[in-house]
Order: sequence, then C-alpha cells, then structure tokens
Amino acid sequence: MTTLHNLFEWLEALPTATALRESDYGYPYLLAGHVVGMLFFAGLILMMDLRLAGLAHVETRVSQIQKRLFPWQMLSLVLSFVTGGLLFYMQPLQYWGKVFFWTKFVMMGLAGANAIVFHLTTYRSVARWDNDPVPPFRARLAGILSIVLWAAVVVFGRLTAYDWLTYQ
Amino acid sequence: MSLEPIFLWMNRLPLSEYIRESAYVSPVNNLVHLLSMVTFIGALALVDLRLLNTGMRQQPLKQVAQAALPWLVGGFLGLLVTGFIALTGTAMAQYTNRVFWLKMYILLAAMIFTATVRHKVTMADEARVGPLWSMLVGFISLALWTSVAVAARMIMFLR
Repeated sequence: MTTLHNLFEWLEALPTATALRESDYGYPYLLAGHVVGMLFFAGLILMMDLRLAGLAHVETRVSQIQKRLFPWQMLSLVLSFVTGGLLFYMQPLQYWGKVFFWTKFVMMGLAGANAIVFHLTTYRSVARWDNDPVPPFRARLAGILSIVLWAAVVVFGRLTAYDWLTYQ
Repeated sequence: MSLEPIFLWMNRLPLSEYIRESAYVSPVNNLVHLLSMVTFIGALALVDLRLLNTGMRQQPLKQVAQAALPWLVGGFLGLLVTGFIALTGTAMAQYTNRVFWLKMYILLAAMIFTATVRHKVTMADEARVGPLWSMLVGFISLALWTSVAVAARMIMFLR
C-alpha cells in the first residue's frame, strides 16, 4: 500500500501535474470532456444492452447493433480515459482516500469482465438467435448486468466529487 | 419583461429551502439527472450517427428513429423533472449566472431543432431527403446537445 501511495505522491509532485492543478481552466475543461465521453460511451452501451435484454430495437439484429456501435463506443471510451487519466494525474492524492473512487474502478472491472465473458461464451452462438426479438436468458442477463454495472460506474464517479467516505 | 420575480418566488418556496438544507436531495437528484442524460444521449446519438451515414446503416432510418424515440422522450422527461428540482433549490444562484442562461438558450435552440427539423427528417421517407441534408441535421443535433451538456457542466465553474 505504501508503494502505491508513494506513486500517488510522486505523480502529484510532477511539474505538469502541478501546472494543470494551478490552471483555472484545466479542471473544468477536462471534466467537461470526461462528461461528454462518458455520455456517449454509456449511452451507446445502454442502447446495445437494451437490445440484448430484448427491451428495444428488437427489429434490428443483435450482431448489427454490436458491430455498428462498437467503433463509436470505443472512440468515446478513449475520450473518457484520456480526460479521466489527466483528471487523476493532476491531483491523485485527492482521490487516494475516497471509497467511492475505488468502488468505481471495481465496478468498471466487473463491467469489463461481464462484457468479455459474454463475448467468449454466449455471443459465440449469436447466429442462432440474432433475429430473436427476445434473446436467450444468458444474453439478457449479460445485457441487464451491463446496464446495472455501467450505471454504477457513472454513479460512483459522480459521488467521488463529494467528501463522503473520505479517509486520509 | 424580467423573469427575476419568478426566480425570487422559486427561491422562497419551502421546497427550495428544503432542497438547500438537505444533504441528500441534491446529490440524489443530480444522479438521476445524469442517468437520464445517458439515456437521452444514447437514444439521440444512435439516430444522429445513422443520419451521418455511419452507425446502424443497414436499417431504415425511420425504424431506428422510432425504436429510439421512447428512450429519447423518457430520458428527456427525466432531465426535465430533475432539472426543475435542481433549479428550485438554487434559483437565484442560477438567475445571476451567465453560463446558466447560455445553457438555457442553447437548450431552447436544441429542443426546437429536435422537435421540428430533426423529427421531420428522421420520420420522413429517406429517399426524399438528400444525404447531405441528413448529415447536416445529424451534425447540428449532436453539436447542439453536446453544447448543452458542456455548458451545464461549466455553470458551477464560470460565472
């Protein structure tokens, strides 16, 4: 733990991190970029998950939604990652003691694992249920789990801004 | 005509005081606002990408737009309700903030554009709307709504 904390301290002391911290506009612009990236990423993920859950876009093939939205989901994910990374880089110690900050990353890990497991198992047989308005149970489950976990990422990300459950 | 009396009246409501004094109403309201925004932008972007001739290109535009519509309207209603709750709690602080009014003007333009031009184009027979016009509509829609979100995020930083 100490080594990780040392890393946070080292980052915070870097000249470019200090410069960003002292800039009037660095934080608001990065935050705005982070919100925009998040909105498009989570929004398009939600639309895809609603199809998987059989709740929307049932006239469209599942594989179509997956394939056609993927590049845009990844593009907005990159925007979220870059802006989020810089927000962290400019004041890592601010986040060190925040339970919600760490919870957000646990949720992100679970959401990622859910997506990977789904693609390696259930999605392999997509050709058989591609046109079904209501996909098989395991696909619906992956869709609902994805909605819940990504919503949790958004929620805990937002809650990080408050000083609840913050320790030093 | 000044809207100041309306904002002053909102600010004096018992509900306004209650929102300001509670430690939880604003954060929870804000979370619902944010999740509604995700739903709204998802339903919006899905169709705007289609207008830009990328995204879900093999489906008829009208089919994509109709499937997205309930989520677009639902997300918008969520934004509207939580937006009014947030405004009630902070009416005078918003009234005196220039960025708040900037957001409101862009929002007004975005709402009018979406309910008229964009709605007409997405529900029209695709062959009747030239591809360049479709792209322009998709681009303007994305630009307007992204600006609303950015301006909103800036309210508490800039005045």
